[in-house]
Amino acid sequence: MGDATQWSDGTLTVSAEEAQALVAAPSLADVKVSWASPGDAVRIVKVLDVVEPRSKGPGGGGVFPGWLEGPAVEGPTHVLRGAAVVVAGYLPRAQEAVIDMSGPAAELSPFGSTHNLVIEFTPAPDADWADVDDALRRGSLALAARLAEATLDAPPDEEETVPDPGPVDGLPRIGAVTNLQTQGVFKDVFVRGSSFNGQAPALIDPAEIDDGAVVSGQFGHPSLRNPTWVHQNHPVANALRARHGKDLAFAGVVLSPEPVSASEKARISAAAAQVCADAGFEAVILTKEGGGNADADIALKMDALEDMGITTVGLFAEMAGPDGTGPPIVVAPEKATAMVSTGNYDTRLDLPEMERALGGEELALLGVPATSAMQLPTAVILASLGCLGGGRLTCAQEA
Amino acid sequence: MARIVHYLNQFFIGAGGEDAAAQPPSSQAGPVGPGRRLAQLLGDEHEIVATVSCGDDDAAGRPEAVAEIAALIAEHQPDLVVAGPAFTSGRYGLACARVAAAAKAAGFNSVAAMHPDNPGLDEAGGAPVVASGEAARLMGPALDTLSAAVKKLLAGEVLTNADGLVGLAPRQPRMAERTGAQRAVDLALARLAGDRDATEVPLPRFDRVTPAPPITDLRNSTLAILTEGALVPDDNPGALESARATKWLRYSLEGRDELKPGEWRSVHGGFSTVWANEDPHRILPLDAARQLEREGAIGRLYEEYLVTAGNGTSVANARRFGVEWAADLRHSGARAAILTAT
Repeated sequence: MGDATQWSDGTLTVSAEEAQALVAAPSLADVKVSWASPGDAVRIVKVLDVVEPRSKGPGGGGVFPGWLEGPAVEGPTHVLRGAAVVVAGYLPRAQEAVIDMSGPAAELSPFGSTHNLVIEFTPAPDADWADVDDALRRGSLALAARLAEATLDAPPDEEETVPDPGPVDGLPRIGAVTNLQTQGVFKDVFVRGSSFNGQAPALIDPAEIDDGAVVSGQFGHPSLRNPTWVHQNHPVANALRARHGKDLAFAGVVLSPEPVSASEKARISAAAAQVCADAGFEAVILTKEGGGNADADIALKMDALEDMGITTVGLFAEMAGPDGTGPPIVVAPEKATAMVSTGNYDTRLDLPEMERALGGEELALLGVPATSAMQLPTAVILASLGCLGGGRLTCAQEA
Repeated sequence: MARIVHYLNQFFIGAGGEDAAAQPPSSQAGPVGPGRRLAQLLGDEHEIVATVSCGDDDAAGRPEAVAEIAALIAEHQPDLVVAGPAFTSGRYGLACARVAAAAKAAGFNSVAAMHPDNPGLDEAGGAPVVASGEAARLMGPALDTLSAAVKKLLAGEVLTNADGLVGLAPRQPRMAERTGAQRAVDLALARLAGDRDATEVPLPRFDRVTPAPPITDLRNSTLAILTEGALVPDDNPGALESARATKWLRYSLEGRDELKPGEWRSVHGGFSTVWANEDPHRILPLDAARQLEREGAIGRLYEEYLVTAGNGTSVANARRFGVEWAADLRHSGARAAILTAT
């Protein structure tokens, strides 16, 4: 923290006053920002969203389209890798998510190893919760863009050019289908600034996702949600890009909603499979977001894709009980069978006492002080079960 | 001569089918039903000294039943307790597993037999369970496996998968070298190259439940209302979990015509409970059920409701809840149930 927001010699300094002003809104009585860094004895509770600082120019230069006003700029995206803006605090209906900056949970969440600028807030009296949610989203995106803006004139430590999707002679075309849990207020995901609830599955340029076209407002199962940061670093798109032109051709990304009702799940699954077939995908890596009901979206889509002759691999987290002996998935596909496990939701973790808590004083789930030593299932650790395949956690039967 | 007590349900001692499922624990001398074939297979060095039995509804639905069964078994001070085979029968499997567990806890050797998909499997409390086929038509091979396992256990040996031992093949968490997304790309390429079986997780095959036949005379039947919507008294006295439920609870509806807002609350963590709390009948339709009772459309409303939270519940727990609810309702005479889901 310092007097001005600036980037110098590899160190980011943030003006708390400027950060608070960027987040301030009529629905928020008070906003506080503070840092939590890897190794700190800090627990962040009630985490809502996490955003990676990125910018293409003043006012964001077109990142987070639909949310920020900055005019779109052509050119490279500046990424402040290793830093994150974290929003933490009580919202009704949000399932309580935890990030530990040290101890055994730190390596399970991508945000246990980022330097986190944590936004805490007090809602204005009588503020509508939906307005509070909206203000926090706008504020955190604006703050993330502002942090990256500090690096616009600095030489990058690393430059990366990502390939566009497209055919390559003789190589199999593999694409991604990314399910977004879109089930109403507080369980919603936004694409280019609008709710994706009720939308049809559609191809999107993955470079748009890099630049923040997908923003999360989804506060369901903590381990099984994809915060905005995860979309910005879309692990499946990046894994496919890394091998584009070598042993596969990256065929593109299809975004698909996860509706509530069974009939809509079936209809959307058929539609998503059709989009993949039209786009010439020969194989699909399919990911989910959410708990048990989202397993139905995986199962239906995998079978719909296989019916069209498209080979499909599903990524999912197991819900196999604390000892890992139960059936791992709630709804299993009947035709497709290629699955990757991203860990077990029910595995118990013993977490140490912490010196400091952010986001709240209590872990409401257990009714204990947020700093106390506690046992929690992996389910509660934010993004720990890497729905989009970003983590290394898995499960295997012991030989 | 090794002394063995055999546990069977009401059906296999010949007392009857579902009509006799409420029968309390009982004991008789010597082998009965499939126990006779088991005794033959075990030969002269083993004796089935008694057969203890209980109706499936009573054994799986009444909390004290298993302790009473264990007490009847203990009277014979057996060298080993054999339960089943229960095949895929849920209530019977639960009873066999719990009897084996209770016998083990009381210091007796025990073994149960059932199909590997039987929801009872998780309840054996460390007692060994050996595999059987799906239904009683596979009694012959099931008893072959069971008798061999009994002999081995009484010889002081440990059962292995080769003996038909089932259950407890835990999948353990670990860190892979590569990310899930990278492994998914590898798997897609392996599949495209022709490997039709490659996967990190063998998928479970779920049974499909055949619906019970329709109630022919609802006007003379007891109807229960049940919910997985986590509606509980406002102070949540049973501490029902908001997610990953490990238990279910029961609350009385006796003397109640309605559920008043403020007195009841949904603690479900998977959906917005605002509207449920505004009018608890949106989760548990007591008002409509009472009206149907007054109109005579149903014989009687069951005076308790059963509740859990269906939010991230493991399939194993959900199956166990289902078996226990079925036993509980049958035990208390309810013949129809409306289960609201959220």
